[in-house]
Parts: sequence; structure tokens; C-alpha cells
Amino acid sequence: MAISPEGPEVQPKSAPGVHPRPLWSLRPASDREAGDAVVANFLLHWFPVRALADSLRWRYSLWLGTISAALLALLVLSGLPLLFLHVPSVERAYGSVKDIENVVTFGSWIRSVHRLSAHFMVAVVFLHLARVFLTGAYKNGVGRGQRREWNWVLGVLMFLVTLFLSFTGYLLPWDQLAYWAVTVGTNIASAVPLVGETVRELMLGGRTIDQPTLTRFEMLHVIVLPGLLAVLFAYHMWRIRKDGGLASADGAALLPAAAPVSAAERATKTYTLLGVARGQGPRIRATSLERPDVSVSSVPDLTRRIAIVMLGTFAVLSILAVFIHSPLEEPANALVTPNPAKAPWYFLWLQEIVTDTTIHLGSFTINGAFVGGVVLPGLLVGLMLVWPWLDRSPAAAAGRWFPRSRRTQNVVFLALVAVVIVLTLIGTFARGPYWRLYWPWQSWPDMPTRF
Amino acid sequence: MSVRPDRREFLKRVGIGVGVAAMCGQGAAALRSLVPNVSYDAPTTVKIGPPAEYPEGMKFLPEQRLFVFRQGPVFHAISAVCTHLGCTVRAEALSNVETRQVGGSPVKLTHRFLCPCHGSRYEGDGENVAGPAPRPLAWYELSIATDDGQLVVDLAKPVERSFRLTVA
Repeated sequence: MAISPEGPEVQPKSAPGVHPRPLWSLRPASDREAGDAVVANFLLHWFPVRALADSLRWRYSLWLGTISAALLALLVLSGLPLLFLHVPSVERAYGSVKDIENVVTFGSWIRSVHRLSAHFMVAVVFLHLARVFLTGAYKNGVGRGQRREWNWVLGVLMFLVTLFLSFTGYLLPWDQLAYWAVTVGTNIASAVPLVGETVRELMLGGRTIDQPTLTRFEMLHVIVLPGLLAVLFAYHMWRIRKDGGLASADGAALLPAAAPVSAAERATKTYTLLGVARGQGPRIRATSLERPDVSVSSVPDLTRRIAIVMLGTFAVLSILAVFIHSPLEEPANALVTPNPAKAPWYFLWLQEIVTDTTIHLGSFTINGAFVGGVVLPGLLVGLMLVWPWLDRSPAAAAGRWFPRSRRTQNVVFLALVAVVIVLTLIGTFARGPYWRLYWPWQSWPDMPTRF
Repeated sequence: MSVRPDRREFLKRVGIGVGVAAMCGQGAAALRSLVPNVSYDAPTTVKIGPPAEYPEGMKFLPEQRLFVFRQGPVFHAISAVCTHLGCTVRAEALSNVETRQVGGSPVKLTHRFLCPCHGSRYEGDGENVAGPAPRPLAWYELSIATDDGQLVVDLAKPVERSFRLTVA
């Protein structure tokens, strides 16, 4: 702007597309200010200016997706210092984790936050998936152009990436848990007919578990999988917007249109609901969504809830990590398999089914590693991926807990979950040395630890 | 558009094609670079000491994950790698030793083998009898090194269960 001593100071006009008000208020005085807050702010720009009130109900979504995102943020935050401190070498990885535990200031706490967040994330992401299934939230409602089934597919992929992130994560200390988990995990891959051996060699970077193996899993854990998860996460959020918000809010479009807005009110109103499905068909239109009882301003109603959930998650994890310390087994020893060698809890049901599914048909044998490690989990994932297209319940069943029309499939889903939980409990509490069954109150016999 | 694509259309397709080919080439090169060309793995043929150092009965070699059995001058070797998912099985000495015909000649079954990962169980000759193991434990070829007379095991060469090495 040219400075001229004479004449009044001219306020420069904002360039096209540039928002003149960069500031935003936690307590906007008007709809206009609330809208400005979203449009002008980088962190908030992915939210709609107005959110459907039904989407925000605590008891519908339980906010499990937001908790997952909070845990992911916490994992990235706590992972960065660990990345500086961990040495990805088979000789020194174990020692560096020991240093993090015992020498580094706050190291033990940071590692604990990272580990606990990872455990919680597996659980919460699964609960989120279960919530979406039980409420039929992958179903399209009345909006044209909704493709919620694809967001479910993205979600299932993100759940798998979460599991694979956990798997690659607990390998990095290179302790006994790590070494034998790699052994079993990569042998499950090699149980696949024809390509199995090649896949295993590609995972290990050779024929035996050595430095290339640790390097590969480290790169997967810190670059490849987090990057993939970030892309899927962004896509997942974008799809929620394109699908017109959560399924629970679909009913808003069926309400009668709002009363005509008075001219005085209209003057202050510059933004309308941005979060509606594309196409704006005859049935979903801003008129009914503009009813004051249907939607609220994202600032502060949505942002306040997100802040509560995120800060609550951070607080709970930070405090838990003070009291719960991360275990570290003995250094990786190729010579001795621990007895029993147990996977983390979220893989114990898989350890159970690879134990129980070797099939003998006369002289013909199918390895349980293939049936229980590849075929059954593959079938489960495949079934989850295609389920939205098999679900024939009416659109009205979308976005409601336990609707009558979806009772059978909800019961089947819960039965499968119950089987997985029972197998997990057996693996956790009832398996002792040589993977034999012991009651929790029975003591394990003394076993020689090495020869 | 006419039936014969004009020059503009042709060049557009060439451009897209070259771009796609370049991306595919980059991707393929990146993936191929991850397939190792040189193996730094430990050699599979290993000298495991002079036969005289082996006691009567069984000796476990953790580095090779191998059980070496000796009955007088007769040797055989059984892998300790579980055929289910590759954990190292543990040997458990039996109180009553049974002698069984294995591959045409008698073998004293002094131990049985148990896997700590998924509970597979093997008899003293490596036969899988319980748990998820799909196959018996592998037997490996033993030989005598020509230079210093040590026992040599070839971990890449599984053999029939009739295999015995008799050391004169």
C-alpha cells in the first residue's frame, strides 16, 4: 500500500478468495462470526460451518472415531522423540530401548505413552468399527450421491493398517517378543501356496532374520504405514463430509422446511450448511436443514466437543503412562524360543486359531498356519469389506442403535466378536508352557528355560 | 471425434502413455531394488565338531537348531525347527526309552520334542503326533569333513529317515 501523507487512509480490499478476517472466536456472537471462524482457520477448514445436531450426540457415536484420531496424534507426538533415541540396528536396538527406559529423562514415560496409546488405538478403532456396524452407519440414507459403503471400506483398511503398525512397532526393541513374533509372522506369510516363500524373503530381506529385517520393519513403522494411515484418514474425513455427515443425522432432511427466514435475519446469514451430500436432490435441501433445531454452528458446538474428547484422551493416557510401565523382554535370542511364546493380546485369537486349524485328511495335511493364519482372517476381512453390499435392510435402519430390521446381522456380528473374545481370553489366561491348557488358578510346572 | 484420431489426440495419448510408463518404471525399479541379490546368510553347510566329542544319546546345537543323535558309531541329525511356524522345539528326556524301527534300522527314542509356540508334539524320530504341526521334523544329511574329520551337517539337504552316518 502506498503511503500518502494526505488524504484518509484507504483500507485495502482483500484479494479474491482471501478471507479478510483471520481471527476466530471461541464464543462467536453471531452466525456470521461462527462461519468466519471455520472458513478463515486452517485447523478448522475441514469442518462444515454448521453441523447437524444429531451428528454430535454423545450417545450415538460415542466419539470413538475422534478418540482414535486423538490416539493417533498422541502416537505421532510420542513417536518422534523415540525415533531420535532408538537405534535401528540388531546389535544396538535393545540397548537403545533400555537406555530410553533407564537413562533418558522422561524416556520411560514417553515410551509408555506410545505403547499404551497403541494398545488403546487397536481397541478403540475396533470399537469404532463395531459401533458403525451395529448402527448400520455404513448405509446410505436419503441423500443423493451418498457412498457411505466406501467409507466403511476405508475404515476396515485403516483398522488393518493399525494392526500392522502395532505389529511392526513391537518388533523394534528387538527383544524375545520381537524376534519370535517376526519368526511366526513371516512363517504365516510363507504358508501361502506358491508365493509364500518369496513374500517371506521380501519381508525379511533375506532368508534369515537379520539386520535387513529390522530395517524393513522400522521403515514400515515410521514412514510407510503412518503415511498410508494419514492419507486414508484424510480420505475418511472427506467422505464423511461428502456423505452429508453421520448416518444418524439423515433424518433431518425429511423434516418439513424451516419457516421463512425474515429479511432481517437473512441479512446476517452468509453461510449455509456445507456438509450436505452432493447433488442436493429434491429431498435433501437446505430449506429443511436450516431449521434452527436441526443444526448448530460448528464453532463452538463441534469444536468444544472435539476439544473435550482430545484433551480427555491425552489426559487419561498421560496419567496412565505414569503408573503403567512398558515391559521389555530378554534380548532377542535366536537360540531359545520363550516358553510359552505369547503374542500381544490383540493377536492371541489368531495364535489360538493357527493352533487349532491344522487339517489332516488321510495322508493329506493342510497347515494351520495357512488355514488359521491366512484363509480364516482373509475371509473375515473379505466379509467385512463386502458386507455393506450384502446388507439389504431399509435405509431407515441407518444411524440407529439395534434397529429391528438389522437384528439378525447384528446378532451374527456380535456372536463372531464373542468368539474372538473367548479365544483371546483362552490365549491370555488358559495357555501355559508348550501352549498347554491350564486353569488360571493352576500353577504352571517348572520348565527348564534353556538347554 | 472422427474415426481416425487426429494428431492432437494422438500426441495426447502418447503423452499420457509415456507418463504412465514412467511411473510404472519408477515403481517397478523401487520394488525390485528391495529384492536382495546377495545373501549374507550363514552358510547352510556347517562343521559341527569331531564325532568323538558327541556323547552317547542326544546333543542339542542351538546355533544350528539341530539335535544330533549318537548310538555307538551311528549318527543322525533332526532339525529343531517346528514345521508349523518355525519356533525352536525343546527336547524332553523320556523316562522309559523305547527302541523303534525307523527307516529300516532300530533307533532308541530317548526324547520327545515339544513346541512352545503352539503346542505341537513330536516323537523321538521327529514324527508329529499332536498339535498343529503338519509334517514331521526334518532330518538332515551328516557327513565327515575330508580335511579334519569333523562332522558336517547340510541344513539345506533334508534326507529320508533311513539316513544314518556310521563313523568307523
